[in-house]
Amino acid sequence: MALNKARRSEEPASLNITSMMDMMTIILVFLLKSYGTQDISVAPSDDLVLPVSTAQKSPEIAVNVVVSKISIVVDGVPIVNLETVPDPENPGQSVLQVPEDLLNGQLIDTLLDELSKKADIAKDIGKQSGLAEHAFKGRLLIQCDKKLPFAVLRQVMYTAGQAQFSEFKFVVYKME
Amino acid sequence: MAVNRRIQKTEDLNLVPIMNLVTILIPFLIMAAQFVQLAVIDSTLPAIGTPTPSDDKPDQPPLNLSLAITDRGVTVMGADAILHPEGVPEAAEGEVRLPTIPCTSGGVCISVDDYDWDKLTAKLNLIKDEYPDEEDANVILVPDNQIHYEVIVQTMDASREDPTKPGGDGKARLLFPNVVIAGGAM
Repeated sequence: MALNKARRSEEPASLNITSMMDMMTIILVFLLKSYGTQDISVAPSDDLVLPVSTAQKSPEIAVNVVVSKISIVVDGVPIVNLETVPDPENPGQSVLQVPEDLLNGQLIDTLLDELSKKADIAKDIGKQSGLAEHAFKGRLLIQCDKKLPFAVLRQVMYTAGQAQFSEFKFVVYKME
Repeated sequence: MAVNRRIQKTEDLNLVPIMNLVTILIPFLIMAAQFVQLAVIDSTLPAIGTPTPSDDKPDQPPLNLSLAITDRGVTVMGADAILHPEGVPEAAEGEVRLPTIPCTSGGVCISVDDYDWDKLTAKLNLIKDEYPDEEDANVILVPDNQIHYEVIVQTMDASREDPTKPGGDGKARLLFPNVVIAGGAM
């Protein structure tokens, strides 16, 4: 008995990692299956829930406008903060809107400035490269919260149109 | 004696290097993993300019299909001749004309599921039967101010294709995939 104990302690203790290997292999296969590269990314939050659609077209890179429940963000830079006001048509309910002092008719001035800048940069790049594939095509990726009222979307689209963006790509979750 | 002992003892495979490899691979794959698939819906601004006159088919007027989306349902415009061959039913005195596709509840649509999307697709199928040309693939959406974005997306889905009917190449039948969002009632 005493001899036995002494013998055991002489050998270096080895961890049995076979079961861990099993687990790792399964995780590896699962992660390889969900591996994917996409040009754009969304940062889902409570304020930005994209709608689900049966559309199949995959996104391509373009100027990115995110309209969440709280703000309008262009390529990661917040431009306009939205406000929630009581709905004049349905008492007791509230409606999301662009603050009136930022609106010029249907135009959102600060957004127009930012998008015009982006358009100018894109045109410059197109001109310098001289390639047709880099030319400015006026593409705009729009990510909207699914509860966004159309009035705000229309103002964003109208402003983008004034900044020479005319091809809108609405980003949605693909239905499985 | 010593030889005998060595044969009896099974030698463990050294898995530690593989473990190292896998442990490095896993964080990398987690970073690149995608758990939601994204897609885009194309839409263009309404073209400004004089429409090009086409006199290919003088017998058939061009299709100017529009869908007006309100909180009471979806109204199909520009295709009255197909939807109502016997003439548009006149609304009774003092009664508001109902949308072509009213809400399933009959009153006001509260959520996106209250709209009758299957019926809308069925109606658009009828219109597509009459206008099968690829040039007639435009649909103009005219949503109300307070209509939620998800309803607009769902309308685009319902008018893009009919998954229940097979099209030419084994895919779903294409209806009106070119969506233009109009300014709506200002």
